[in-house]
Amino acid sequence: MSVEIPNALSSLPTSSLRHIGRAQRRVEDPSLLTGRTCFIDDVVLPRMLHGAILRSPFAHARIVAVDTREAEALPGVFAVITGTDALRWSHPALSSPEGWGTHCLATEKVRFVGEPIAAVAAISRHVAEDAIELISVDYEPLDVVADPIRAMEPGSPLVIEARGSNVMLDRLFQWGDVDAAFASADVVVGESFRWHRMGANPTETYGCICEWDPLDLRLTVRGSIQSPSMFALGRAATFALPSNRVNVISHPHGGSFGGKGGARGTDITCMLSRKAGGRPVKWIEDRVEYLTSGGGQAWDRHYEASLAVQNDGRVTGLKVRLIDDLGATGEAYGAICTAKPLAAFTGPYTIPVAEYDLKLVATNKLPSGPYRGMGPPPHFFVLEQLMDMAARKLAIDPAEFRRRNFIRKDQFPYTIPSGNEYDSGSYEEVLDAALELADYPAMRADQAKAREAGRLVGIGVASAIEPGVFDWNAYAIVGMPGTGVPEGATVNIDILGFVTVRVGFSLEGQGQYTLVTQLVSDYWNVEPSLVRVVYLDTQSAPPSFGPGGSRLGVAITGAVLGACDKIRQKMSRVVAALMQTEPAHIAYRDGKFFISGVEGAQMTVAEVAGTMLARSDLLPPDIDPRPEATHVWTAAGRTPADDQGRAKSYLTAAQAVHVVRVEIDRDTGFVEIQRYCLADDCGTRLNPATVDGQTDGSVAQGIGAALLEEYSFDEDAQPRTTTFMDYLMPTVYEIPEIEKVAVVTPSPFTPLGAKGCGEGAIHTTPAAVMCAINDALAPLGQMAREVPAAPNRLWKLIRAAERNANS
Amino acid sequence: MKSHKIRVRVNGKELDAVVEPRLSLADFLRQDLGLTGTHVGCEHGVCGICNVIVDGRSVRSCLMLAVQVDGRSVETVEGLAQDDKLHPIQEAFIEEHGLQCGFCTPGFMMSIKELLDRNPKPSEDEIMDVLGGSLCRCTGYRAILRSVHNAIAKLGAAA
Repeated sequence: MSVEIPNALSSLPTSSLRHIGRAQRRVEDPSLLTGRTCFIDDVVLPRMLHGAILRSPFAHARIVAVDTREAEALPGVFAVITGTDALRWSHPALSSPEGWGTHCLATEKVRFVGEPIAAVAAISRHVAEDAIELISVDYEPLDVVADPIRAMEPGSPLVIEARGSNVMLDRLFQWGDVDAAFASADVVVGESFRWHRMGANPTETYGCICEWDPLDLRLTVRGSIQSPSMFALGRAATFALPSNRVNVISHPHGGSFGGKGGARGTDITCMLSRKAGGRPVKWIEDRVEYLTSGGGQAWDRHYEASLAVQNDGRVTGLKVRLIDDLGATGEAYGAICTAKPLAAFTGPYTIPVAEYDLKLVATNKLPSGPYRGMGPPPHFFVLEQLMDMAARKLAIDPAEFRRRNFIRKDQFPYTIPSGNEYDSGSYEEVLDAALELADYPAMRADQAKAREAGRLVGIGVASAIEPGVFDWNAYAIVGMPGTGVPEGATVNIDILGFVTVRVGFSLEGQGQYTLVTQLVSDYWNVEPSLVRVVYLDTQSAPPSFGPGGSRLGVAITGAVLGACDKIRQKMSRVVAALMQTEPAHIAYRDGKFFISGVEGAQMTVAEVAGTMLARSDLLPPDIDPRPEATHVWTAAGRTPADDQGRAKSYLTAAQAVHVVRVEIDRDTGFVEIQRYCLADDCGTRLNPATVDGQTDGSVAQGIGAALLEEYSFDEDAQPRTTTFMDYLMPTVYEIPEIEKVAVVTPSPFTPLGAKGCGEGAIHTTPAAVMCAINDALAPLGQMAREVPAAPNRLWKLIRAAERNANS
Repeated sequence: MKSHKIRVRVNGKELDAVVEPRLSLADFLRQDLGLTGTHVGCEHGVCGICNVIVDGRSVRSCLMLAVQVDGRSVETVEGLAQDDKLHPIQEAFIEEHGLQCGFCTPGFMMSIKELLDRNPKPSEDEIMDVLGGSLCRCTGYRAILRSVHNAIAKLGAAA
């Protein structure tokens, strides 16, 4: 049976689309707004204990002794575990690159501040924390390596001695004859850049409740888990359990952005449950734990990059050298963030050849992890600064410079040098739409006036690609095996015709249950208020990865529509049998099965479902009487990576142009964003209201990245940003109104022509804001090379310019 | 640790409780009373996610102790909807897409309610001052700002 999944809204079996493609109220909201959505810390289980974790105050130290006797003696304490328990009960974490994982509790030494050393399960969190204070640890401090450049030198202290080096990966990728392109260039621009470590910081920290069944050897993990099926496999590996003995129940969570983390804390909590005889143990990470030792510290990067350009403005080559400080281990999969740029290495441009010199280095910092965008945002920051440097050198307007290098509409599908294929795009239209929205000529004229008055006003015009619908093959260079990321859904119609959809991911904020509701409402011609979307745990759900890699909107659309089509085909056979004709004569539209041209020969979906469930005796003998089907959607045509990492990986390529006006205060270095305009093309917009929401939030995170957010460490790798007073999240004051316009170029390869759009604007925003800042600084002969462009950094550049002017 | 007896009115209902002096108001509401709609985001008073209203003023429930609300009146997100009807602020958040993951939303709504209870027609600066006291990681805030204006209109029409 071949399954038909419509690739355009117009192919849905409805005469008038009422829900999909239109801004819709979210089905998630009433429960969230009344405080009834069940987040993990809201869950109380019978017999439940509470965990707390003792963490290292040193970045690098040998553990001489751990004394837990006083803690164990405290009334209300049920379990205390240390590295000794980790050694006997667990394996080192899986990692990327492979072989750089450690145990979840430090065994011989600690490798970063905040590394867990011991943990307690007690009758309450208060008692657990009291007990933690009673554990004494003798440390012998070791030399610390906090800087990846130093870490690569021979004789540097080793983070993991057994590896013999701190270099986790050192590879040169060349796609085409890059040296020839640079040798024959009219102009070469090059610069070094520093992107400081920053990250996700969802408003809800990570939390879990783990229950180890000691007799039946079963593990149940409830938590605020973004990717439950992957998470279940990880726990099975840690504890050498058969994967069917691990059940993960994901709860709605307060954001994730890839940076929920939680693997270590979960493994520790599982062992606490085991030591406490199988009582469930809850561990909720607090904010200081999240900021010092949680998930989502990402993108700690040192760049050198250059661009080869012809005098006519054509860019002919790109070289990027990246040293990425991954922190102490590879357990948090931050390495993936250095591989993902291959999916869009040359951005929206026709740059024909490129080179990537990639070094991943271990230091005594928290293992770095994923964050929204997964690595391209810093890459595009670098590329777009180079584009502006070249434009400035050739005296070409930056918007025009980009236009000359855009991939043209007739060139799609377009394969970039690093191997990925872009599906479709209308880059010039997007540029024009953004420039028109901003009234770019007037903006420039106004800037000229402001400059004459001595003000530091800058305009940034930047464009980037958002790779959508990820595949594992995109990360082959850092050791992620395999190809294919399935997403499944089960659609069920009950005896009265009401529709329920069962999925394998929980709520995270993107409105995906609303999307599912929209799809089935239009497909089956039912009111959204009568549709139910139900979450299933990993033991019950169809194959599912869940949200991630700008993928779920496209993938769940394919799964739901595939399941709907299977039910349609099944019901067509039933109706044909009842009407004594062939299934080919049965049509379906607007909630009714009918024979074209035969009056009265029609049945509603509810009638068919009722007949199937009540009168299986009337059905063709080989038909399953349930009006239900499961479909698993996986992106087709993905290819294994070659030795240079080239693969057809991400299925879609959304594109955006952002136009930003900033002003820098000469006295303080403070940046004000005065206008923020963007045009965005993410294909068919399935729920424009939630797409806009993703864009707004992603711009805000991009502004945070460009101006505010930084995990700061001292020279001994001591974290200096341990509260929200130090790690600066954007507030309403820092985020301007985002003026938006949409261009729609459907993807030819996806359900309904939608493209991945969840990670969105953060691909472009830091680049655009930094372009604007550097445009403002250009008259001073200065350039901001560090992100975030915090006031102190810009203030120094402005003072340096004044000194130069005076000398 | 010596426990204290307190009497407190929560969402209009008076009740007695016995609490340790170190118990925060947030933990008291969530753990002792089962009112888990109040969420905890940072526990150091910056994020505003745990905001509730005590005697008409919004407070960080992570920084206030349960013993401090003895004899006082507390409002939480659970008290917003009445008789199966959402509060106009809640309706406004739905209409303006003022939430995504929804974790910070109860705190925002309680501080907005405090503002609008005291001043049904606040200035833009007053609104910004209130919203500036809380963190949201999903929305980029502008949809929340629109929700406030929507709620002002709804409450004005109802008055």
